[in-house]
Amino acid sequence: MVPGNTDAKLPAVFRLLFPVIAGVPLGPLLTLSLRSLAGREPRLFERLGEHRSACYFIDPIDLAFAFTVVPDGERSIVRVVRKSETATSSVQIRGPILTLLSLLDGTLDGDALFFSRIISISGRTEAVLALRNTIEDAELRPADLLGLRGALARLVDTGILGALGIARQLADPNSRRKAPEA
Amino acid sequence: MTSGRMELVCPAGTPATLRAAVQAGADAVYCGFRDETNARNFPGLNFSGEELAEGVRFAHDHGSKVLVAINTFARVNDVVLWKRAADMAAECGANAIIAADIAVLDHVAKNHKQVRLHLSVQAAAATPEAIGFYATSFGVRRVVLPRVLSVQEIAALNRAIDVETEAFVFGGLCVMIEGRCYLSSYATGKSPNLNGVCSPPEMVSYDDEPSSTAARLSGFTIDRYEPGEPVGYPTLCKGKFKAGDKTSYLFEDPVSLNAGGMIAGLKAAGVTALKIEGRQRGKGYVTEVVRAFRKAVDAVEQGGDAIEIDRILAGQSEGSRQTAGAYSKKWR
Repeated sequence: MVPGNTDAKLPAVFRLLFPVIAGVPLGPLLTLSLRSLAGREPRLFERLGEHRSACYFIDPIDLAFAFTVVPDGERSIVRVVRKSETATSSVQIRGPILTLLSLLDGTLDGDALFFSRIISISGRTEAVLALRNTIEDAELRPADLLGLRGALARLVDTGILGALGIARQLADPNSRRKAPEA
Repeated sequence: MTSGRMELVCPAGTPATLRAAVQAGADAVYCGFRDETNARNFPGLNFSGEELAEGVRFAHDHGSKVLVAINTFARVNDVVLWKRAADMAAECGANAIIAADIAVLDHVAKNHKQVRLHLSVQAAAATPEAIGFYATSFGVRRVVLPRVLSVQEIAALNRAIDVETEAFVFGGLCVMIEGRCYLSSYATGKSPNLNGVCSPPEMVSYDDEPSSTAARLSGFTIDRYEPGEPVGYPTLCKGKFKAGDKTSYLFEDPVSLNAGGMIAGLKAAGVTALKIEGRQRGKGYVTEVVRAFRKAVDAVEQGGDAIEIDRILAGQSEGSRQTAGAYSKKWR
């Protein structure tokens, strides 16, 4: 039961934005965001158990860089790394960025994506499983990662999720083909 | 024959999935604690005491029940963890405890009389004598039937016992005597009945090789997949092995159970509750399956015909091979 556009690559228009984003200190910002989330929702990280100290190498295959994430609560670290920097990681997860983001917000099911090979995983299976189950339960929204609440959170969620939806539609060849009939 | 409405019992591996199952129409949700006291002991899965208490409140507020699986077998001289789990389930307000170990059943029967006892499928009780023993000795109110019985056998069993029966209708299958997998114990050094998992993820690897991906458990190759071919979680009983000159699924084809078409037959056979397997599955999957089975059960209760039930459940067979299992035994 895998939806149709799960292996969609990031459209060129969005990829053009990434050289701009690459100039931003993405690693420190994401680190701060994750640590702040851990401060607000410590229970979320408890679910990872011993695997919170594992190093997850996350490789969005349609971007020029990758990330390493150590989701250790308020000691979490996110780094932007080269795609070749896998040596220190316990787990490697690869897939299109839109698919990986859909995993984070719960739009797509990680099991289905892995078993159908839309995302690939190597390394310690137990750490992957712990992360997958933690994300499943977390029901994260973009505003949660940004530490926002109330009306502003709803506005940001609507904006970001809407933009992701548009990106997915643009990336899905089936949806583009269907567009003129709509 | 059951006179009331059949109960739909649905899986929850996390609090989010519990809420999803309840909202999708589960009459009851079953779950377990985050340790080896339950038979789905995967990393990141299951509930803390606090989460269970919240889950029970949520389920009760929405008119659903919570059944707590404490269904592995306690270790010699170390029953404390299992007893503590039962105490915690009772404190959290669980409607029932699903157990198989006689020590756990005895503890609940003596100390938590307000909590119903359901006999886990792990006990593999499939005769009136065995079920009668559990009912008389511990006051067991329901037995979860092993997936080895035909509908006719279930009907005969129900005529001979006076406890409720619960039958699996969807999800993974376990071969023969439920959970007692000596293959898994041999390969991994861990017993599924004691540790709560038959393919421990720390022993699972997916190895990319020149022309295929090998799925291995504890170093044993369980299956190989061509590039692009969907992969599976390596389970020994559903592995592909070479015997003589022939490579085949030696023990069991990698199929899952779908007895959706037999809901009416199971009701007529006197089954009280229908169980969906899959506490390790995500909330999207659980929502979809529970929603479909909710509609199907309601349609059966309202006298819907087989064609209508098939139409409701048609989407649930997409992408995987399925079987009605022993419910429609053809080898007898």
